This record gives sequence, C-alpha cells and structure tokens, in this order.
Amino acid sequence: MNFKQQRDNFRAKKISAVEAVEESLRKIKDDQLNIFINHFEQEALSNARHIDNNFDDFIAKPLSGVPIAHKDIFCTEGLPTTCGSKMLENFIPPYDSTVVKNCLDAGSIMVAKTNMDEFAMGSSNETSYFGAVSNPWNHDLVPGGSSGGAAACVSANLTTISTGTDTGGSIRQPAALCGITGLKPTYGLVSRWGMIAFCSSMDQAGPFSRDAFGCAALLDAMASYDEKDSTSTKRQDTNFEESLSKNFGSLKVGVIKNIQELDISEDVINAYETSKTVLSGLGHKLVEVDFSELSSGICSYYVIAPAECSSNLSRFDGVKYGYRSKGEKDIANLYMNTRSDGFGDEVKKRILIGTHVLSAGFYDAYYLQAQKVRRMIKLKFENFFKDVDLIFMPTTLDQAFEKNRKSDDPNRMYKEDLLTIPANLAGLPAISFPNGFKNNLPIAGQLIGKYFAEDLLLNTTNKIQEVTDWHKMTP
Amino acid sequence: MDKIELKNLLFLARISAKENEYPEIIKKLENTFELIDEMQDLDLSDLEPLNNPLELSNVTRIDKDKNRNDKKKFLDNSPESDEDYFNVPKIIE
Repeated sequence: MNFKQQRDNFRAKKISAVEAVEESLRKIKDDQLNIFINHFEQEALSNARHIDNNFDDFIAKPLSGVPIAHKDIFCTEGLPTTCGSKMLENFIPPYDSTVVKNCLDAGSIMVAKTNMDEFAMGSSNETSYFGAVSNPWNHDLVPGGSSGGAAACVSANLTTISTGTDTGGSIRQPAALCGITGLKPTYGLVSRWGMIAFCSSMDQAGPFSRDAFGCAALLDAMASYDEKDSTSTKRQDTNFEESLSKNFGSLKVGVIKNIQELDISEDVINAYETSKTVLSGLGHKLVEVDFSELSSGICSYYVIAPAECSSNLSRFDGVKYGYRSKGEKDIANLYMNTRSDGFGDEVKKRILIGTHVLSAGFYDAYYLQAQKVRRMIKLKFENFFKDVDLIFMPTTLDQAFEKNRKSDDPNRMYKEDLLTIPANLAGLPAISFPNGFKNNLPIAGQLIGKYFAEDLLLNTTNKIQEVTDWHKMTP
Repeated sequence: MDKIELKNLLFLARISAKENEYPEIIKKLENTFELIDEMQDLDLSDLEPLNNPLELSNVTRIDKDKNRNDKKKFLDNSPESDEDYFNVPKIIE
C-alpha cells in the first residue's frame, strides 16, 4: 500500500487511524533490520483514537490518519531523542521540533523514531551507537545514510511516509539505495528548530515516501515559516500536492556531459541513459552541462561540515543534558572523558578535523578556501540555471554496498556523496527517485532545481512515475 | 601532524585519547586531509567566501516574555542536579 491509498482508505472510513497504527506497530515489532531506535505504542494509539474521535477535523489534513516514523534527530516532547548516539541515549526533550509538531498538526501519527548514523555523520548507517541498519533488498547490504532507518522503513513498507535530514545527501542517497523517493528541500524551506544540529548551514529536513505524491503531501505538512529558526524563509505558500497536477509544459533539463569520465558504475549510467529517454519522451529538451569540477565540492564539504559540527557539538559537555562520565574529580576531565566516551569514532574524527581547520594558522588555507569553493559551486549552478529549468544526474555512484566494506577506506565512503553534495553546498532542492534495477537492487536518479522549485521537482518526478514502474517495486 | 600537534588539537576539542592511540588517529586525520587538499590547487582568489547558501538576513522577533518556565524539565535532563542547580565538580579550590 502506498501513502495515497492509505490516506484515501482513512478518508473513506475503510480503515480507522487506530487500525492503521496497529498494523504499522505490528510490522515494526517484527522488524529484523534494526530500523528503529524507539517505538511508541501507547502514545500512538492514544493519538490515533483522538483523530478517529475527531474525524471531521482531520479529514482534509495532508497526512490525515497516516502513521509516520521520524528520524531520531527530531526532538519529541517527553519521548527519547538519541540522534543515534550514546551521548543522548537517555535524553528526553522538553519540546517538540517544528517538523514533528507540523506533522502532528497535519493529522499523522508518530509510531516510531528511526535509526541513523550518529549525529547524521555517515553514508551507510553503520556509525549508529544502536547498530547498523540492514537494506530491505538484501540484508547483507547497507541502506545508505545518514537517514538509513527512515528510508528502510518506507522501503520495507512499515510506514508509507517518514522524515529525514539531508546535509550532504542523507535523504537522497538512502532513498536511492532503498528504492524509494526522497526530497531535500531548499535550505530554509523547512524549519530546523528542534532538529539536532550537525552542519547548520546545510542541514535540511525533508520527506521520504514511495513516490512523489507521498513526498508532496509530507512536504506540505513539514514546510513552514518559523520565527524560531533564524534561517527560515518567509515565502508564499505553495500547495505541493496540488502542484502535481499542474502543467509546467516542456522543460529544458540539464544532463551531465561526459558522464563516463566520472567514477560511476556501468549499471547506474545505463539507468541514467534510459531515464534521459523517458524525459525526452515526456517532451522535455535535454541540454548537456559540464560539471567537471564536481569533485571539489567534496573537499569543501569535508571542511565546512566538520567545522560547523565541531562548534555545534561543543554543547555536549555532560552538564546540562546527555551522557556524563562517572566519578570525575575536576571539570576538565569531566568534559574530556564525557566527550570521549559519549561520542563514537566517526564523530570524534570530524570534531578533530573541524577544530583543526578552524584553528589559528589553518583557517585561511582550509575554511576560507572551502567557503570559496562553495561560492564557486553556487555560481556554477546559477550559470546552469540561466539555460535550463532542472538538472538531472544519478544520485549515487553505484548501488547499495556491503556492510563494513568501506570502513577501511573512509575516503571512498566520503566520495559516495560526490553527486549529492553540490546541491547542499548551494542550498538547492533536489529529489531522488528510483530509475532502474540490477541484480534485484535499486538504482536512482536525482533532479536538482532552482531555489524553491520543489513544486517543479515533484511535478516532474510524478510525471516520470506515471510512465515508469520503478517506484512500485518492493523488496 | 606530529604527537604534540595532536595533543593540542585534542585539548582544543576537549576529547581525550591515550598516547598509544595517537598514531592511528593521526593516520585517519591525514588520510582525510589528503582528500581535502585536492582543493588547494584551485585559484579562487577572486571569489568571496560563502557561508550561507541563501545569504539570508537574520530572522528577528519581538523580545517579549513568554511566561514559560520549563526549569524542572531542563533540570530533569541533567545527569546530576540539586534543587535549582546543575551539579559539576568543584571548579575553584
């Protein structure tokens, strides 16, 4: 069942919210893939009963009567929020994040919080303190990261929608590896308030669903101007679900010139070429764009993200909340040992890199240079968008990979984000959707749009999904 | 990076590590810097640094009392608290 069918069933009173939640919880309790960190039976059923008892108030809401799983990075009042870390294993937020509150107001029922790479730092969901998540298509493979649990949850059909966050590809890459649709909105469209910070200038929350329709409805719920987020953008409201049926006409779509020169697998390129034919068949004009400086985006990202993380994660000191090292006699050791025991190796490594690139003597060579690369990438996109409406490229270099395979070669893991990072550096919206299969594993492509062009991205993806079946495949 | 530089970096980041772990940490950091250093060849002297993709102006709101007191909720999250205070080891001898 997809999101639309589930919501239609609720609206037609074919299924109650309580029944939908019970069904979801039954599957969640049987989960063998380590997708969840916590589930909330009592709270979910109570909320579902409230919705059923006030059916008329909820029938027109975008997510009416639909169970949802939130990435465990979003604060939930009175319920644990771990961010995949020992540091926050016992943290109970005193407030809801804006995303969680918006989704609740939109008629959804939170049933669980999903597993993730620790503090969203990873591309395989293997850095979680709560253990790795398995890919629903093949349990020996990773689901991608950092929102691996959220993507696996929808892929395995445990809920029809879930939320994630995307700092360098953490929605699009797991969506690609799990065979579902995932959207990273324009920076500033969705509030970051109550979303535990990793890299504040790139972090952006977004939806997962099997198809563009589910993503549109969930984005309608998630997006809002929020005075509590200093980078929230005031803009005219767009109804993304309604925009699916708009006619945007024939578009100019930028496609990557000399894609064979990038380190992309043959199967991914074959799927890409097939999708180009689909785009042409829909009446769009393909225009080649030269993206030969893509790789410098990786360098910039792995300076800026650690720099911001080293600052953001300085709040974890064992005093006000979170883990505290036991029996420390002085404050210096309390800080040092709390952070050493509470953070995992990948997080500590990124804090050290970030501290180094911000320290005296290295700031200009690393941090400033990385910010200039960021400017260069942004300008490059601005130039592309003078000629094209959208850019189309693969989401990942290859399909899902085996667990532990890339741990010995972290740079290979970092390069996994080569195709997703540019949109984060520039703050642009991008949507990943399945566009092929090989060896019973999904392959995906992504469309990148101009600022706040989520309506066009969702509309175009929806049109593609009307004439293809890749998004209907289930593990 | 040598051991003295790493020791200083660990102190700045408030992370502890045993000295026998230093070579492994240095190896991992240097490996990442190999990747990052690829951008050093680019001549970007004519570009301004970009620190926020939308170059937004700040969002402001009226500074007014919301009469909200969540003191107990916050203190309950603390690893150690006593009445109205967060507990820490003695700082001043």
